[in-house]
Amino acid sequence: MFQLTELQHDALVEIFNIGVGQAAAAMSRIVSEEVTMSVPEIAFQSRAEVAHTLGAREGRRICAVAQQFSGAFNTEAFLMFPEEKSLEIVRLMVGQSLSLEELSEMEQEAMSEIGNIILNSCMATLANASGKELQGSLPMYRIGTGNDILGESGKQWDGVVMTLKIDFNIERHHIYGYVAFLLDLPALHDLTQYIDSYLAGVTG
Amino acid sequence: MLNLLEGVLKAVRTGIIVLDAGQRIVFWNDWMAQHSRMEARHVLGRTFGEVFPEMIDGRTHIAVESALRNNFASLLSQTLNKAPFPLYANPADTASDIRIQQAVHVMPLDVASRGRHCLVQITDVSMAVARERKLREMAVELESQTLVDGLTGIANRRRFDLHLEDEFRRAKRNATPVSLVMIDVDYFKDFNDNYGHQRGDDCLIRIGSALSGMLNRARDLVARYGGEEFTVVLPDTDKDGALQVAEAMRAAVEALAIEHAYSGVARHVTISLGVSTLVPELSTTTGSLIHAADRALYQAKRAGRNCVAVYLDGRLR
Repeated sequence: MFQLTELQHDALVEIFNIGVGQAAAAMSRIVSEEVTMSVPEIAFQSRAEVAHTLGAREGRRICAVAQQFSGAFNTEAFLMFPEEKSLEIVRLMVGQSLSLEELSEMEQEAMSEIGNIILNSCMATLANASGKELQGSLPMYRIGTGNDILGESGKQWDGVVMTLKIDFNIERHHIYGYVAFLLDLPALHDLTQYIDSYLAGVTG
Repeated sequence: MLNLLEGVLKAVRTGIIVLDAGQRIVFWNDWMAQHSRMEARHVLGRTFGEVFPEMIDGRTHIAVESALRNNFASLLSQTLNKAPFPLYANPADTASDIRIQQAVHVMPLDVASRGRHCLVQITDVSMAVARERKLREMAVELESQTLVDGLTGIANRRRFDLHLEDEFRRAKRNATPVSLVMIDVDYFKDFNDNYGHQRGDDCLIRIGSALSGMLNRARDLVARYGGEEFTVVLPDTDKDGALQVAEAMRAAVEALAIEHAYSGVARHVTISLGVSTLVPELSTTTGSLIHAADRALYQAKRAGRNCVAVYLDGRLR
């Protein structure tokens, strides 16, 4: 499987931490409470591996917000939480402790907005670091197993999934989620180039 | 063809605004005119900030900037952004400032030879919001059936925990005080041992109902905390207000005049009460409020029972 050098990995972790930091600040302003987020690790895996991590085999339901990005490089990005965690996040943000088992229509929209904020912030810092333009679509809310969401059963695809583990804190609740980017080979190539030029900028 | 498209956009039953790279309004459809009470000719050519001064640097404005600068689309949900645009369904709502519930989509728009623009689309979601409110009310009613104490019929411990969390969060956001009263029935074990559990249960039922009878605000809550312990949540209530309620409760239970020949303080059933009040800060937990009320209750018992004690800034009074 594709691997970054240690230096490249650290640079990418740094870029994404800036991104989620900005997303957390935006979310804090919305709820007027402290929200913090960090990315402790990044991994490159196949779609099947990611789906497995997300409990696809046990039929675990995942709540996802998906967005398309194109330009500097092309990717489909996802923010993913186990369904019960997404309920927890939305209700902490909205401030109501009501226990319906699924997100209502309005709550789904709130979840989409949260995903939109996080994904846009991640991609904005990446675009900044690359010095290239990116275009982002509106968020789409999806629910299903990791397989359903990442489209395992769909067409043949030779790329990898870059996953960031996200550590999300609101009101002393610690919630782990994932951001995943589907990267085909050209996108992967573009990404490594941007990291290298970012590193050159930082060290040079 | 262009005229046709413009005509369609104008007539669409959803709000559409287009801004150019300098954030000047270049398109404003009829729906916007109708609900903002601002005709297109009054807003065209003016900037977003000039037309909506109260929205400068708000979420929507930042989304517009992000669309123009970064090429990113944003969604602003009704739930997390309470009606950002001053839009009204009818003149009566305008007068009472009841805004249309909105979902806002902000999208970058590349216009050939004229550079980047930004499309703002506003959807009226008032119907969906009303539907969910109804749904929520029904869910609350269902839930209430599992949040009631089986013996006394007042709120149970779980309801208390949920309610205190909600009120604590609200107090944090609004920087308002929240008070808690912890209540213990004096010499209740002696009551049970001598009169039997049947009379003990009756005694708790009567106390529970006397305590709830003292509250009349919707968000005040009296709950059975466990055994012979009760607790009262008083949102938006300062120390003096909480003291008054506590003293009234003490008097109300005394007035029940339930005979208790084995009490160490009186010939009838009495209660001891501990009061704590705080304006929660970011890092404060409900635990500190409960702990403070517990300390005060302990103090009330040491002071001879059938009385109220207050916990104040680490000191007892």
